[in-house]
Amino acid sequence: MNAASCNGCDIEILASLTPRYDAERLGVELVPSPRHADVLLVTGTTNPLMRDRLREVYEQMPNPRRVVAVGACALGGGVMKGCYNVGHGIDTVIPVDLYIPGCPPRPEAIIFGILKLVTGEPRDPVAGEPIVQ
Amino acid sequence: MSSEEIESLARKLKGKTSKSMNSTVILVDPARVLDACLSVASFEGFYHLTTITAVDIWEDIELTYHFWKGRSFVSVRTKVSKKKPEIQSIAASLPSAVLYEAEIRDLFGVTFVGNPYTGKRLLLPDDYPDDLPPPLRAEADPETIRKRMKLE
Amino acid sequence: MSSGKPSEEKSEAGAGLMQYSPESMMPFGPVHPSLKEPEYFRLVLEGEKIKEVIPRIGYVHRGIERAAQERTWVKDIYLFERICGICSFAHSICFTQGVEALSKFEVPRRAKYIRLVVAELERIHSHLLWLGLVGHWAGFDTLFMWVWKDREHVLDLSEAITGNRIHKSYATFGGVRKDLPDDIKDKLLAEMSFIEKRVKYYDELVSSERTLSVRTKGVGTITQDAARRLCPVGPLLRSTGIARDVRAEDPYAAYDEVPPEVQFRTDGDIASLLSLRMGEVLDSCRMIRVAMEKLPSGPFRTPVPRSVPAGDSAFHVEAPRGELFYYSKSEGLSSPARVKIRTPTMANLLTATEMLKGRPLADVPIVLTGMDPCFGCMDRVSVIDLDKSKQWAFTGEQLREYGIEYYRRLL
Repeated sequence: MNAASCNGCDIEILASLTPRYDAERLGVELVPSPRHADVLLVTGTTNPLMRDRLREVYEQMPNPRRVVAVGACALGGGVMKGCYNVGHGIDTVIPVDLYIPGCPPRPEAIIFGILKLVTGEPRDPVAGEPIVQ
Repeated sequence: MSSEEIESLARKLKGKTSKSMNSTVILVDPARVLDACLSVASFEGFYHLTTITAVDIWEDIELTYHFWKGRSFVSVRTKVSKKKPEIQSIAASLPSAVLYEAEIRDLFGVTFVGNPYTGKRLLLPDDYPDDLPPPLRAEADPETIRKRMKLE
Repeated sequence: MSSGKPSEEKSEAGAGLMQYSPESMMPFGPVHPSLKEPEYFRLVLEGEKIKEVIPRIGYVHRGIERAAQERTWVKDIYLFERICGICSFAHSICFTQGVEALSKFEVPRRAKYIRLVVAELERIHSHLLWLGLVGHWAGFDTLFMWVWKDREHVLDLSEAITGNRIHKSYATFGGVRKDLPDDIKDKLLAEMSFIEKRVKYYDELVSSERTLSVRTKGVGTITQDAARRLCPVGPLLRSTGIARDVRAEDPYAAYDEVPPEVQFRTDGDIASLLSLRMGEVLDSCRMIRVAMEKLPSGPFRTPVPRSVPAGDSAFHVEAPRGELFYYSKSEGLSSPARVKIRTPTMANLLTATEMLKGRPLADVPIVLTGMDPCFGCMDRVSVIDLDKSKQWAFTGEQLREYGIEYYRRLL
């Protein structure tokens, strides 16, 4: 979902489905409706007009559900930090399970992140808690 | 448009001209803007309105209508006072201006009388507080806007 | 653009939307129906045909012009780049050249050539991206996959030259940040041959493929008269026969020495846009070859002072989507007093609404994609359909499938 992003992350997410990176061979499929989704990838900073949309999309996902913040803007505002119409990261709106940094992150990084999410490997280096429960 | 033609147009509109690199600017009163824009647009090849720029110059909002042909811009410039930021819309005759005017209305609070865009807002969220100054004015403060819009 | 009748449409831009359940309200984006991009066009339908189109944008509005006034000139380059991921370099060279003109900073010839090469690479990547999306929206996913796979070659070149695939952070005041790598010329020429071959194949494919031609020939036609009134830019303008291109008419960077062969068509429909953009890619390949042959030696950057003298400058470049305009004003301080940006999609929006009038609903995806909208640039528009007597809304995926089915019946 694009929550006020420049499109950079979106096209890298799409690129990760194209033949060179081919996330589909790993079992990743882009679905059009949140009701069919297990994971929500969000790009962009959110702004007042997108906040509610983002919450709605999140609410519609059936459990178990995971949210991945893709790109610097979704992480904490990125280069847009301080602009009058942006939120500083989507975790101010919905809970986030995984963060993929980059501006934009490469398709390899996106796939790596999704795989980490699915295999439940990463641990929060600070708190020692698993990032994915 | 040759510089003589621009000069004579400026005189007719009781305005002044100035030149800044590739732009020749015709400075007029707000009431003459529609005439000025129509005159420039009717010159051979100058029909293309690139955009309308608004700049906050402390007590006024300066509006510049940029027309492009070849290697130069011929721009019509005016200013409206912040106390009464109103000006005649040019959109009825130059339809490409509609969205540019609507954008300036959102971001600077200038009313373009006769602009046909019906929505309340073009760019800003619907719930942008009416009591806050429009965001691109100097007196607007991004931090205040963020707090009021509850953006953390 | 006309005043809608509120009583018929039952709502103002914001209020009416609340009547729908969240799922049916799911907006769709022009990039991909499965990417929930926020956009609003309200379509008023009469029967199957579109009567009125009213845009409501603002979903990606971030407040960048304001933020620019609080950051230094150099930091603003990185800010403006990120207005759009697809035409990022166009933004960066428009801004840097505007400020260079204002400050009378000299840019070495070599840097101008390098900027041209990277800008044309961006044009190629953008048009290929678009071609893939047109394929997807028309139900032709194979085209999407093939084209995006080929596009990776262009991104590789971008990475080899600038270090990044998307946001290149390459242009700066006085030139570019680093020189071309030594071995890049052969690689560039080889890849240009590859792209030329692939694009010629796609050009033939899209013009002969029935699923696409029935959806694009005679669809979304604009006349020259309408173009002069509504002032679109870029390929949309050139598809009507008005061959205006900033690179040729008002050259910047090295375009005075390596001019484009301005592509144009005369039918003004989506099929013209397809053929036109393919033509532009081929011309970009040609220009890159010429530029590499003529590449001057010398510095790639001149050191420039940190401060920008007071004054203002109006500058424009030909971004992949059309004329991109930056007005920069300096008061001699470390931050700009004002930067006003007018993106090509903003200029094309009215024309896009004209293209839709009188067309069946099934044309919406192709026509909107046809204008190659970049809402990150302009700030998003969403689609919701209203009928005067019934109300329903489509999700992006539904609209895409509706369009595919509609035209399948015609074949």
